[in-house]
Amino acid sequence: MRKIFNCIMDIGEQMLICGAEVHRVEDSINRMCAAFGAERSDVFIITSSMVVTVYMPDESVYTQTRRIKGIGTDIEKLHGLNRLSREICSEKLTPEQIRSEFREILNLRSYPLWVECIAYMAVAAAFAVFFGGGLSDAAVALVIGCIVRFIVLIADKASMNKIFTKFLCSFAVSSLALVGMKLGFIDSIDKAVIGNIMLLIPGVGLTNGLRDLFAGDSIAGLLRLIEAVLTALAIAAGYFLFVVTMGGALK
Amino acid sequence: MTLTEFIQIIMGFIGSLGFAILFNIRGKRLLFASLGGLLSWLLFVLLGNFLADEALRYFIVAMIISAYAEVMARILKTPTTTFIATSIIPLVPGSALYYTMAHAFEGDAENFIAKAIYTLQLSCALALGVVVVTAFTRLVYRLKEKRGHH
Repeated sequence: MRKIFNCIMDIGEQMLICGAEVHRVEDSINRMCAAFGAERSDVFIITSSMVVTVYMPDESVYTQTRRIKGIGTDIEKLHGLNRLSREICSEKLTPEQIRSEFREILNLRSYPLWVECIAYMAVAAAFAVFFGGGLSDAAVALVIGCIVRFIVLIADKASMNKIFTKFLCSFAVSSLALVGMKLGFIDSIDKAVIGNIMLLIPGVGLTNGLRDLFAGDSIAGLLRLIEAVLTALAIAAGYFLFVVTMGGALK
Repeated sequence: MTLTEFIQIIMGFIGSLGFAILFNIRGKRLLFASLGGLLSWLLFVLLGNFLADEALRYFIVAMIISAYAEVMARILKTPTTTFIATSIIPLVPGSALYYTMAHAFEGDAENFIAKAIYTLQLSCALALGVVVVTAFTRLVYRLKEKRGHH
């Protein structure tokens, strides 16, 4: 059981890191423990930590805690983990089988950097137009979107605080849009900035937070909400710094 | 539907597709996740023929989109998050948030408060729509499971 419990914890931890809701992870862990004959499993998960205790029929008790750092969104891995946890529940896999499948899932590729770069550019340009911008706004938003991807890349390499990264990005976006305006490509920075703000805004965090909150996982939900609010504030702060330092050039 | 609205719907689709790629969604799921984004703005525009209130429209669209996400998740055997996270993207009030900030730093209190309330309304309507469907689905599944045990 000890080996299996390790596997279950690993799966749960990765699900959380890949962006699953707390409710979902707790449910999966409970089911997997039950599938291996646990009499009772107590699972407590918030976005930054998980505590699980399993009680086996032979009176042995196992507890593990995991500290979770850095939650992102990787649906492909999440899909794999989800499938694996279903498999574990329906057919008894040996710890070795679970391990090898788990390793395979962790090695799943993410899109290469250049594809991500195009995605950033497409999102920024699309939303510049979406919110009423013209082609020139889209073009400027597109270029800035690409630069934002590289700022994020450098920030990640330096393992910079996520919220501070948003602050920096927001400042950079507004300043670069101003450059675009001064060069005469666009009449106002609004649409180009909005397109890029869509890249930074914590829309998913907010909805996931509220989903957790209303599902009864209040602490996890609140943590996610606070993070979303802080991120929004960081974006505003970046814009504020821009207005204070360069706002005069806007007129 | 005007041309502007048509362009908006297409742009909403591209935006969702971009995010779907950033979330590392692949294959068939990539298509249906991005289509959710198209669907959400299409519904928003179509509902505009009957309802003027934007927050209410957000709420209704969010509910339909979440239902779509729950159904797609069951069909493609994958977590619901896949479809919710991408489908709501065009509904995220990025523009409203931007103008809230802009008004705040211009010292334009009246417009700032109006925009801030508007942003809050939209985000709450969006989140509530998603939450209602999530809660309902879980309730149904819990009842089903209970019945299965007896």
